[in-house]
Amino acid sequence: MKETGSQPEMHRVLDVSKSSITRQKKETLIGIFWLGTALFATVAIILILGFLVREALPAILEIGIWDFIFHDIWNPASITPQYGILTLIAGTLLVTLGAMAIAIPFGIGTAIFIAEVAPPQFREVVKPAIELLAGIPSIVYGFFGLIVLTTWLRTSFDLPSGATWLAGSILLGIMALPTIVSVSEDAISSVPDEFRSASLALGATRWQTITGVTLPAALSGITAAIILGLGRAIGETMAVMMVTGNAAVVPDPLWNILSPVRTLTATLGIEMGEVSIGSTHYHALFGVALVLLIIALIINLSASFILRNIREGQIGANGEPLLSNATKTRLKQVMLVVAPGVIFWIAYQISGITGMAAPAILLGLIFAVKQFFSRQIQEKMAFAGVTLATAGVLFTLAIIIFDIVSNGLPAITWEFLTESPRNLGRDGGIFPAIVGTVWLVAGAIAIALPIGVGAALYLNEYTIEGRITRIIRAGNDLLNGTPSIVFGLFGFAFLVLFVGLGVSLIAGQITLALMILPTIVRTSEEALKSVPDTLRHGSLALGATRWHTISRIVLPAALPGILTGTILGIGRAAGETAPLLFTAVVFMKRDLPTSLSDPVMALPYHLYVLSTNVPDAEIQQYGTALVLLALVTAIYAVAILIRRHARKTIRW
Amino acid sequence: MVVMTHSVRTRSVRSLLTGMAMLLVAAALFSGCVGDKDVADTRIISVSGSTTNLPIAQAVAELYMDIHQTDEILVSGGGSGVGIRAVGEGTADIGMSSRDIRQTEIEQYPDLVEHVIAYDGIGVIVNPENPVSSLTLDQIKAIYKGEITNWREIDGNDRQIVVVGRDSASGTREFFYEEVMNKEEFVRTQQELNSNGAIRRTIQQTPDAIGYVGLGYVDDTVRGINIWIDDRSVAPTVSNVADGTYPIARSLYMYTRGEASGLVKDYLDFLLSDDGQAIVAREGFVPIR
Amino acid sequence: MMKYALETRKLDLYYGETPALIEVDIKIPKNSVTALIGPSGCGKSTLLRCFNRMNDLIPDCRINGSILYYGQEINNRTTDVVELRKRIGMVFQQPNPFPKSIYENVVYGPRVHGIRDRKKLDAIAEESLKGAALWEEVQDRLHEAARSLSGGQQQRLCIARSLSVGPDIILMDEPCSALDPIATAKIENLIAQLKEEYTVVIVTHNMQQAARVSDYTGFMYMGKLIEFDITPFIFERPKQELTENYITGRFG
Repeated sequence: MKETGSQPEMHRVLDVSKSSITRQKKETLIGIFWLGTALFATVAIILILGFLVREALPAILEIGIWDFIFHDIWNPASITPQYGILTLIAGTLLVTLGAMAIAIPFGIGTAIFIAEVAPPQFREVVKPAIELLAGIPSIVYGFFGLIVLTTWLRTSFDLPSGATWLAGSILLGIMALPTIVSVSEDAISSVPDEFRSASLALGATRWQTITGVTLPAALSGITAAIILGLGRAIGETMAVMMVTGNAAVVPDPLWNILSPVRTLTATLGIEMGEVSIGSTHYHALFGVALVLLIIALIINLSASFILRNIREGQIGANGEPLLSNATKTRLKQVMLVVAPGVIFWIAYQISGITGMAAPAILLGLIFAVKQFFSRQIQEKMAFAGVTLATAGVLFTLAIIIFDIVSNGLPAITWEFLTESPRNLGRDGGIFPAIVGTVWLVAGAIAIALPIGVGAALYLNEYTIEGRITRIIRAGNDLLNGTPSIVFGLFGFAFLVLFVGLGVSLIAGQITLALMILPTIVRTSEEALKSVPDTLRHGSLALGATRWHTISRIVLPAALPGILTGTILGIGRAAGETAPLLFTAVVFMKRDLPTSLSDPVMALPYHLYVLSTNVPDAEIQQYGTALVLLALVTAIYAVAILIRRHARKTIRW
Repeated sequence: MVVMTHSVRTRSVRSLLTGMAMLLVAAALFSGCVGDKDVADTRIISVSGSTTNLPIAQAVAELYMDIHQTDEILVSGGGSGVGIRAVGEGTADIGMSSRDIRQTEIEQYPDLVEHVIAYDGIGVIVNPENPVSSLTLDQIKAIYKGEITNWREIDGNDRQIVVVGRDSASGTREFFYEEVMNKEEFVRTQQELNSNGAIRRTIQQTPDAIGYVGLGYVDDTVRGINIWIDDRSVAPTVSNVADGTYPIARSLYMYTRGEASGLVKDYLDFLLSDDGQAIVAREGFVPIR
Repeated sequence: MMKYALETRKLDLYYGETPALIEVDIKIPKNSVTALIGPSGCGKSTLLRCFNRMNDLIPDCRINGSILYYGQEINNRTTDVVELRKRIGMVFQQPNPFPKSIYENVVYGPRVHGIRDRKKLDAIAEESLKGAALWEEVQDRLHEAARSLSGGQQQRLCIARSLSVGPDIILMDEPCSALDPIATAKIENLIAQLKEEYTVVIVTHNMQQAARVSDYTGFMYMGKLIEFDITPFIFERPKQELTENYITGRFG
């Protein structure tokens, strides 16, 4: 191993030699390669934006940008067409706001429960179960919403119709939950134990430790979780289309959550298919898509900004914080009055004076507890609270699964699973759709995973924060907020027509890959960040190159987090309909795809056409939904097994 | 606690991964085996467009493919606009539409040839529990304009009317707008859904709702409103559309690029033949003869 | 031949605008243990990290002056840093074994440098672990997680790890500060053995440790090397008043 008393000449060989030049060149090339993947999302979003602007411009010029945005009548089909999208903007904002109001507390509460309160075996079961919620296709959510949720709202509150803003927010909230829970939970559980120990050693209760130390330490990951969930909510088309009534009005009064609303995405989803290409309406719809994208960007940037400020307020930053302590205190006081006020108003809207009783009791309880009870009792109640939150989430999952399984099981026969469809899908089976979905998801992951992980590697391992990283992150965030229907439009016009791929499997795979890329980048980055620097230093000090360190130490340690992103991506790719609508699918195809350029059937699309255009196919619809769910569960199971194995091998 | 030695663990990982890889390969091979066709002789065309026409196109295609095993007809939806653009751009061989072709589309794709494949009626439907069973066209228009807001104004229950219609790009809605509304505006709080199926389902579930759907969607789960014409109450049925007594009716189209030839021609001929038109009738539409 | 394993001449180091090392001239004799002592923030760890170019990892860090490894300049662009770090190993303040097995930790270095043969790796592992006085305790559980070892064992594992790539110099940055006295004693014994084959530079804020373990001692203060001499002289007959004040505990 070592030569003692060696000649000094041996020691002189430190100048770069030929082999070390090759090594350095290889390292540089690798770095450039990852830079390329990191820029991919940015390039894609520039393309999408450019394409949208190009198609929207004729309408904007004709209608005038002020009228387009602020006029409050959207009526393109009348003899005097009107293209004002104010009501649509209001709809999007209101429904998203409501969805986040539900998803954030329940989501973070559940994440806290899983990471801090529940026993470890529970975590093993509950976390995958919640990730399963991400796999339920949006079209199935839409149907669940249409059949169960709106009816329940209508009968429980004696409304003429359950198709309301509230229904949309509840449904979207449920759909954003798995993302928020999963990513938050990853963030919380990767907070080092030393922090908790330090706090507990000072005599803090576990709850105080959670709110005072653990959550702030996990804030970066929780921010990522919320932004990802927000992206999901803003961009959702199919589900919200089916439960909000799609009346282009601003609720009157503004907080009337029982009013029907229409979102920007729903407008695209329902009108794009039937619009006459090249007409003002057509171009106006692209204007809608453009506005949607811009709103998503603004919300994303504001959220990042606000959360960064919160963080700097806690760990200290350079210079004056944006809000002085006095302002913050006043803000807190205002919120303490306003928030209950809002809750009471909402309760009043729903059920009048009697409706206010429930929130009144709840708020009174919380206040009493904080004032009069010891920290230990407060902790018990807080834990009870997060347990209830988790129970609520799991209960929702149970209802949805039960609905699909009980209604779908009668349809499952050997014939259904292995044969091609006949009679518009009322007879025969869905085998080609199963195969099509598998190919689409596999292709999407095969494209998105290397690019996404590469981008995360570049951001975290090869560069420091600066202009380039901000551009990359901006591109990623934008892509995250892009609605699925816009991906579909882009895929059609760019991949299918311009590039000439035709309606094909590969066009669908690329479109889906674009859609899930931001999730993978974000969660991979969080995973890489959670690997302590001291490991990297230890490896580099041994003379390993940067790529050695990354490939042998960092990536294996980050694998579980990366797999979380993959799982979420799979769930989304398998269940989305809108990106496929114009890029990859046909309704019926007897043969299986023999090449990447064949069009395919797909389970979500099959479900969509069955449920919207084929009468007397109830059982087959549920059967398709059940098969899709089972397929996604199977994929999840494999991914979860891999993740569990990776965790064990890492041996923290 | 038994600790596996390094080599055993590596082996079990390797075997797990190998197993999965083999499974994937097997799945790929298996799926390649099912439904093999002799590629050389196959003719393939694609049909895309209006979701109203889709059931007809699909059902006819299936029957055709049963008879002619080597031909393949791929049907997909997307809407009338998508169908016309697809056939105009050449990404589909036939474009389906449930509305008339617009001037801008004619200018953009001047060599499209129009074929009428069926007639369709539009039925106004309400929930089966709704006691109201007949309305005049004026009453329907007033409801959709928001002038009549409560069922009791038309001899129904004392409940607020929930007005449901199609989205503003729908050919069906456009037709309703011209023929029933006489181009007067819909009430702003009208709920808009994007398909016949969705409207029917909403009516099924919402006791106080009213909507309009294609004839094929009027069945026992909803109540089709009879239209008062003079003193007669005309039900929304295929025969009433065929003999012209039902007032709300339209044509369904298929467009080809230039005159039809090859498999496109064979398919269209089949559609317009007795067998094809029988399928039209079976799906709840009105045959052209 | 070359008396000095490491040397610096007029070494300046800046973090941004802040100077951290000011005109440091130091000569580390080979096959000895040299201790660097001084109050917190005096620059001793910074100086240590100069030797294996680990300061490269810190953005905004400028280094002027010469750093010599056996007489050869290494503070320049043409130096192959990867190779340098093979020759100069480092042990950190907090033990940082990789989240892998004990065996995998020790053979990581050789693997990364291209050794694949299983038998060779096994031999290297055994030799390194023996060299770090850990072999007896772990030979039966090489494939257990490194993290399952005690703090002191983990640190010795990190030492074994750094031995495995065949360095001639080992840098230690306060290696015992996170350990209990018994573990510390074991490592101090180890250091005494290591100097037969290696040159050891150890940063410590524990003066007694420096006195016990080292042959030479350098005292640093506010980025400057105040005094450097054989250990007994530093502790019994310091030449500088600053040194004497520190030794006698008047500050630091």
